[in-house]
Amino acid sequence: MRKFIVILMLYCFNSVVHAEDVRLGNIGVDASLPALERGADLLMNACHNCHSLKYVRYRDLSAFGFDKKKVDGWRGDQPPEAALIGLLADESAVQMFGKVPPDLSLMIKAREGGENYVYSYLIGYYITPEGLLSNHVFPETKMPDVLGVSGVTDPVQRTEIQGKAHDIVSFLAWAADPHQEERHRLGYYVMVYLLVLTALLFAVKNQIWSRLK
Amino acid sequence: MQNKLIKWIDHRFPLTNFVKHELTGYPTPRNLSYWWNFGFLAGFVLVLQVVTGIFLAMHYKPDATLSFDSIQHIMRDVNYGWLLRYMHATGASAFFLVIYIHMARTLYYGSYRAPRELMWWTGQGLLLMLMATAFMGYLLPWGQMSFWGATVITNLFRATPYIGDQVVVWLRGDYTVGDATLTRFFALHYLFPFLIIGGVVVHLVALHTVKSSNPSGIDLAARDNIPFHPYFTSKDFYGLGLFLIVYCSFVFFFPDSMIEPANNIPANPMQTPTHIVPEWYFLPFYAILRSVPNMVGGVAAMGLSVMMFAFMPFLDRSRIPGGASNRPIVRIGFYLFLLNMLVLGYVGATPPTDQIILVGQVATLFYFGSFLLIPFISIAEERWLIKRGLPPEVEALIASEARGKIKLPFRRRSGDIK
Ligand code: HEC
Repeated sequence: MRKFIVILMLYCFNSVVHAEDVRLGNIGVDASLPALERGADLLMNACHNCHSLKYVRYRDLSAFGFDKKKVDGWRGDQPPEAALIGLLADESAVQMFGKVPPDLSLMIKAREGGENYVYSYLIGYYITPEGLLSNHVFPETKMPDVLGVSGVTDPVQRTEIQGKAHDIVSFLAWAADPHQEERHRLGYYVMVYLLVLTALLFAVKNQIWSRLK
Repeated sequence: MQNKLIKWIDHRFPLTNFVKHELTGYPTPRNLSYWWNFGFLAGFVLVLQVVTGIFLAMHYKPDATLSFDSIQHIMRDVNYGWLLRYMHATGASAFFLVIYIHMARTLYYGSYRAPRELMWWTGQGLLLMLMATAFMGYLLPWGQMSFWGATVITNLFRATPYIGDQVVVWLRGDYTVGDATLTRFFALHYLFPFLIIGGVVVHLVALHTVKSSNPSGIDLAARDNIPFHPYFTSKDFYGLGLFLIVYCSFVFFFPDSMIEPANNIPANPMQTPTHIVPEWYFLPFYAILRSVPNMVGGVAAMGLSVMMFAFMPFLDRSRIPGGASNRPIVRIGFYLFLLNMLVLGYVGATPPTDQIILVGQVATLFYFGSFLLIPFISIAEERWLIKRGLPPEVEALIASEARGKIKLPFRRRSGDIK
């Protein structure tokens, strides 16, 4: 019971701080290797021109199990230790957009709403009645509609674009927290271990205290 | 061989004696509830923070241009660096949670009353050092919230009379929070835990002089005390298991729930985040700061709000043993106080609108009011309780303990009925 109260309190504090701004339902990321590879592929083609992922190196991708040939293809003649630095120089970016596109390595963790936010942002482009490009979640954004959702009305094509956005977001979620899977795996062992250990400690305690009286 | 060695040592240092008197044989009231586990847990978290902190410091770079990157280096490249960092970040929250429960227990059972005032005051000193340590540690990742949190809080020292501006520059080492601030905060963040360890030693020496309080609030005679080992070692370790289950579920499954998204953006002095919030454990005090329209007044109110606890031994002069458990009015007051803390916490986390500010001001008044009314409430309640008679089991306990030992420290007071 007390443990429950403690957990409840932690969750309360927690939701007090983070209650705002979760857009959409939880889209959930697809952490499977094929989805991450598709996401990386799309990102290297559609986003890498402008954005960097300076905390991710090509060698991290191959070490995680991405297809060697694909990684070599993305890497070109850069060394495997090179980070995924975008192709656009800062000066030209400032000339074009008035600002440097933000680094994407931690993007999923750096926005309230995480993957849900970035997903909604990518597919949030639309044409206003005045014929201007805008975005539902970030109306004044300087980034163009890279995935081209704003001009598409065909439901099949829209679903396809949403699938792409989902893959990209899944890859970005991996990039922001590459040890997540390992953490969860270890976490299950730790929890089982602690539950057994605590049950034993409880039994030991009862045994010792039963000597009293 | 072993005996010989111990004999050799005992001749020169009271090792066996110390272990027997202060650790294994230390007499502890047998009726302690699980609320008495939190002191031990606080000690455990302190060790956890020191150990993870030392290993983090081996990889961390206290330099405004490198520190954000070095955290990512720890999170991605250092072997189990993510584990160290998440344990340390979650550990800070766990530390405050444990300490706040420890304080709530002391308040509920009135354990701050004679003869334990010094325990309460050393505890207050430890709380202040813990707050300072946590605040300085929060700057180290050099994210947006780190930077702006430190900017806002150091700026409060402008309220110092006459030398406010100089004090702020002296604290920051520069006119704005910058590299100089980061390096000094790192140095002090490494130092303070060791001062805390010193404070804990004083806290424990005081504890072993006055012995643990207990739920009955009566100093129990020797027959109701049992040796610390194996009874409380086994109980503390069981409590530790429960604590670790909660703690590890956060470390492994929700580690980012305690990290503001804005802190994953590198510090940028040119861009103020829309909404600067401190960590959850500072929110009630932050709400009090914002509730006073005038800055100097706000800073004074915030400082006082943390220090109010220290006045408890003077404010609460009731002679009814057992704290809130035997005092119905104080008990209601205690729960209202906790509720009010949650309200203040909510206010501190919410962007200030007129309504929120009003709620915060009412809650602030209630906060100070609940301290300042204690002298009157407790005396009136005491008269009422003595006239009505304490519950029979308490009377019986008092009588039986009085036979076994000294009299209760019942000071006489004018107005007592005979
Ligand atoms: C033509 C250059 C360009 C391309 C290509 C591009 N972006 Fe951007 N992106 C920008 C710019 C410029 C900004 C800054 C927008 C702003 O702050 O107004 C930005 C901002 C962002 C943001 C942050 C939004 C926020 O909340 O601040 C995300 C996330 C993002 N881009 C993701 C992507 C993804 C994913 C792709 C690939 C599908 C991509 N971008 C492709 C230029 C680009």
